[in-house]
Amino acid sequence: MKIMGLGNASREHAIAEALERSEHHPRIFWLGDIGNPGIFEICKRTGGDFALSKTTDSEKVSEYAKRWHVDFVIIGPEEPNFHAVPDELERRGIPCVGASRDVAMIEMSKAEMRRLQWEYGIRGKLLFKTFRSAQEAYSVLERYSDTLTWLQNVALKPARQAGGKGVKVVEDQQLYLHDEKQRFKSKHADWLEGYMKSYSDIDDKILVEEKVWGPEYTLQCFTDGRCIKGMPLVQDNKHAHEFDIGTETGGMGSISGPGFTLPFITKEEYEESLKIVDFLVRAIQDKVGKSYHGMVAGQMMLTEIEGPTIIEMYSRLGDPEALNVLNTLKTDFVDICLAILDGNLSKLNIEFDEKATVVKAIAPKGYPDNREMAKDHPVFVDRQAIKREGCKFYWGSADIREGGEIKSAGSRLVEILAISDEIEKASKMVDRCIPHVKLLDSWGLFYRSDIGSPELLSKRMDVADRVRMLYQYRRDKDMLGKRVDWLPKVGKMDPVALLRDELSKRGE
Amino acid sequence: MAGIFGFYAFGEERMNWDSSKFIYYGLSALQGRGQESTSLAIYSYDTHSLKWASGDGLVDEVFGKMKQEDVKGFLGIGQVSAEKGDYAIRVEEPIQLALVGDGKPELHENRQRSFQIFAEMLSKKMYELKDPLEAAKKLIGEVKGGYSFIALTKDERMICGRDVHGIKPLEVGAIGFDIGAVASESSALDVIGAEHSGYIKPGEAVNFDPLSIERGRINHETAYCSFEYVYLARLDSYLNSISVSKVREMIGRRLAEENPVKADVVIGVPNTAIPFSMSYSENSEIPVRLGFTRTGRHVRSAIKPSQFDRIVGVQLKLNPIRTSVDGKEIILIDDSVVRGNTLRNTVYNLKRKGAKKVHVRIGSPPLISRCPFGTEVPPEDELIGRALSNDEIAEIIGADSFAYLSIDGLCKSIGLPRSSLCLGCFTGKYPSLHNN
Repeated sequence: MKIMGLGNASREHAIAEALERSEHHPRIFWLGDIGNPGIFEICKRTGGDFALSKTTDSEKVSEYAKRWHVDFVIIGPEEPNFHAVPDELERRGIPCVGASRDVAMIEMSKAEMRRLQWEYGIRGKLLFKTFRSAQEAYSVLERYSDTLTWLQNVALKPARQAGGKGVKVVEDQQLYLHDEKQRFKSKHADWLEGYMKSYSDIDDKILVEEKVWGPEYTLQCFTDGRCIKGMPLVQDNKHAHEFDIGTETGGMGSISGPGFTLPFITKEEYEESLKIVDFLVRAIQDKVGKSYHGMVAGQMMLTEIEGPTIIEMYSRLGDPEALNVLNTLKTDFVDICLAILDGNLSKLNIEFDEKATVVKAIAPKGYPDNREMAKDHPVFVDRQAIKREGCKFYWGSADIREGGEIKSAGSRLVEILAISDEIEKASKMVDRCIPHVKLLDSWGLFYRSDIGSPELLSKRMDVADRVRMLYQYRRDKDMLGKRVDWLPKVGKMDPVALLRDELSKRGE
Repeated sequence: MAGIFGFYAFGEERMNWDSSKFIYYGLSALQGRGQESTSLAIYSYDTHSLKWASGDGLVDEVFGKMKQEDVKGFLGIGQVSAEKGDYAIRVEEPIQLALVGDGKPELHENRQRSFQIFAEMLSKKMYELKDPLEAAKKLIGEVKGGYSFIALTKDERMICGRDVHGIKPLEVGAIGFDIGAVASESSALDVIGAEHSGYIKPGEAVNFDPLSIERGRINHETAYCSFEYVYLARLDSYLNSISVSKVREMIGRRLAEENPVKADVVIGVPNTAIPFSMSYSENSEIPVRLGFTRTGRHVRSAIKPSQFDRIVGVQLKLNPIRTSVDGKEIILIDDSVVRGNTLRNTVYNLKRKGAKKVHVRIGSPPLISRCPFGTEVPPEDELIGRALSNDEIAEIIGADSFAYLSIDGLCKSIGLPRSSLCLGCFTGKYPSLHNN
């Protein structure tokens, strides 16, 4: 069997490894925008091949798939999905595990995803507004600026998935700091407008959502378009630095287990989250009339408004979340891919080890805001030492050059994973490996020691307990999802009704 | 004693934040830790250098006199102090830095001088080692005393840390994807709308720079200041993951258990002893009443500098409510006794309003020693608890009985073993001094 994969981050390294473990003993072929050394090795080892290519170029990707005569293609990152690579492959008769462009809309357009959710009445919604310009955004933000409507406490996002950048959360609760925060909101709207100029594939530029508060978690699923199979929950940590401080990143590390839930999410909340993702996948298929076969993930948050709530959707596995689940997966990953392609997923029993896992990313200083600074540093990894610590190592944003020299490529350089019976233990195991990764020009690396620590875990549990109490109270009072607002001189307002009104006008 | 606060903005848009607004509210929240002087230092992006501003007085007063443009910048630190003229330290060479501190490094008699030497050492070490985190860690390892500090450098770093015992607190918070904040107490983080995310560990140094946050720690036995929990910190703060309010609740309960007495009503001396009185009442089933109304703004009487000011402060602030006390046997709870003057005054006032009996209970053990880490406790020969027995004190202040909380009771209320706390003002034995 021959399988071709796409992408070059740690997630793809983990996917390639999971394929390699298969009883089918596939030969693995791969395309990457840069040369991930780990994937490169796996390709060589399994008698496959590796080539550098633009992974969003559907023509080129299809040509490679033809040339290598692969049985199917599996897609790692989101951009090939947005660029209709799966569509082109299938048009040419090459099966593809990956969301086609139309269904990947749930990730590509954060605004469309929300509209779909409201249109189909899928639980776990947030209030939102979209804007085509910064001017439009702050005129609305300003208009309600001196009252406590939901437009005070907001997340300002690019309306399109844009490499996990540009999300700002501004809680404007303290009237005495209002001017300061209002000014920042306006400035960020400007920034977003500028940033979104490089994306011409979407009309909405700026998305404003109500700010919610609670513990976040990712529910990753396999789907063949008919049924959905959930994996163990993973929690990613988006802040760049210790203490949950600083810029948003693709994720600095993630924890899972032991088992299917997390220490701060209940079984019931897991089930509810799975229903939401399932419903959303059915809705997008219904809306665009195409089948969704591949991976899908809900980036969820437990909120006081509705309990499990969608923050964003992924049309793929998360990175680093993929590492947590693929390393506890007991079922043959190739069997899962085949079941997805054959539409037989419901018949396949997918099993995971009941273990705890921790992944931590190590990035060169400069990531995520000054990636140029984080680029082109020679890397050394003592892989034997990491093995001795009982951990596993995944290459990320690293580029293998001719002659075998490995250089950093600007994003998360490597990810290290540990499996144990407790999250705290796994976290300590990973920490012991950090000194084994170095940049030879002595440029600095950073990682987060606090991920998986007892302090951070207990903080998450504390937040979850409070949010759970609030949403359960609302549920008992039949108030889930309800919002009431009052504006001086205007009177009582129902933001949900207003939004529905706006959406239905749009539909006309 | 002081309250310190630091503000650090990250990301491409960090220039859009003005730290002075946050410092203003952060320091306002810490005002209880020092009311004599206010100061701050800001990193100015326009000039790529540090700017200082300071004055004697409350946060409101000092900020009121500042010009907006003088204190604008996206990185900044600030301090309120219980001493006049005790401002953010300024070091020009070899690396320009500003430093604010709580407590006192054991480098000089005088608190400010001590931090001046500390800041100069930090600047020199940073220059020599070329590694700011290592420099701060080394310094913490070398310099004894009980202190926490936040430094801001010309090269856009904010470096903070605590002495190896962690005597003085330092808490950390975050706002959105942009801002990190550090403060003496978590309540200051609440006030600026930050999420309280943890605390800097004893012996730990943390280096904020535009590209990362790095932590390094010298492992050592902890000795958290117990007086913080009894008196110094705000009721709504968490210090070292321990809730101040919870400790004060436990103190009230232990007071009721340790020295029970029959009475009609429990009254707490505002403000600190109110929570003691409430949980004392809950556990003794004696009703609690508000005993006093205050005049004037809140002045922390134990840390007022002069004796005269203190008495005036007490008389001004505490007027007994007659219906709460008239014809009643009273359990009067206060947080601490320094010289006994204010308590004598209070008991006298209660009796004049008709109190039949006044049993005094103190929510801390007797103060017998002067804090070497900068908490304003008067000279030892002025401490009534050091000189006299409970019965003698009762006689002097005109109370019908008088009792302190035991040291054991205090430790249990905090929930830590004796060995993890600094109990020096009650025992005379201090961690982290050269003579130990």
